[in-house]
Amino acid sequence: MSDRYEIDLNVKPGDDLQDEEMAEAPQVKRKGRGFQSGDQRGDGVHSSAFDKLNSSDDSASGRALKSIEGWIVLITGVHEEATEEDILDKFGEYGEVKNVHLNLDRRTGYVKGYVLVEYEKFSEAEEAIAAMNGAKMLDQTLTCDFAFVKPTNNDDRGRRGLTTRGRGGHGGRRSGRSSSPTRR
Amino acid sequence: MPAEEFYVRYYSGHQGRYGHEFIEFEFHADGRCRYANNSNYRNDSLIKKEMTVSPLMIKELKRIIADSEVMKEDDHKWPKKNVVGKQELEIRFGNEHVSFETAKIGSLVDVQGSEDPEGLRVFYYLVQDLKCLVFSLITLHWKVGSDEMFDLLHYASKVAKACLGMDLKGYQNLTKA
Repeated sequence: MSDRYEIDLNVKPGDDLQDEEMAEAPQVKRKGRGFQSGDQRGDGVHSSAFDKLNSSDDSASGRALKSIEGWIVLITGVHEEATEEDILDKFGEYGEVKNVHLNLDRRTGYVKGYVLVEYEKFSEAEEAIAAMNGAKMLDQTLTCDFAFVKPTNNDDRGRRGLTTRGRGGHGGRRSGRSSSPTRR
Repeated sequence: MPAEEFYVRYYSGHQGRYGHEFIEFEFHADGRCRYANNSNYRNDSLIKKEMTVSPLMIKELKRIIADSEVMKEDDHKWPKKNVVGKQELEIRFGNEHVSFETAKIGSLVDVQGSEDPEGLRVFYYLVQDLKCLVFSLITLHWKVGSDEMFDLLHYASKVAKACLGMDLKGYQNLTKA
């Protein structure tokens, strides 16, 4: 039986409900060849058994999740001419910075606007966030938070994305609704 | 009032002598992020990682996507997927849902030579920025040597393209002769 799922872009809202998981609000505008493609993939993000780091269940760190070796802080609002030195200058005060990822915009070569900073200890990361959130660097206001958090629920059944591929019988996330149990 | 709809997924891969070699990642509005990378070259195995990023990360991701204006583009003039492989970019952002599909892009030369250089350029750079972000997140969270994986897949696709569909092993055999 063919699993090919095709969508005619001229179809009226509500007609494309062969796969009920694909029910999007009728006012959603769709664009792209991917909606016509019937490619099926058994691997990739829609498969199961993904590695994840679990929290060590210490409530001291709140919702933050420790990475394999340290705590990763995300800073946004970074000025496009900021340098790694600027980052170390400001953030080195709260602990030894183990790693900095100050990614550049691949087109312009300027800083993309965010930086990821790693501290070894939770207390250092927490202090840096508290101190630097809302602070200014090169005249721009920074926003800081942990990069990784504990999952919001314990549903381990592999949430599906808004796949455009009709895969009969699979649970998908309905837009705008709270998550319903995925069917397997 | 439901939160603004948001979802991003990127896929790049091909089927070849080494099976299905690909990279794929997705972000959900609640921060759930998945990354999968398969390369059978040198018996590297399938990597599948899952993590939850904070709301600030999702906010920054939304900003990057919005700034790129990729949602304004359309893929109907972009090169179609072929034997060398394909890329998919699916984004749900508020009231719009795009699902672009195109061939692999080796370099700006491919972009400039296409029928929609401006649109494809937007796609090309956004994809690089997204990969860069994901690469940083994976590397920092897991301390895996992902740059090797990224470079390898990119290299393999370039070589295959240069040899008109020949895979990496075929090319190596050719150069040894």
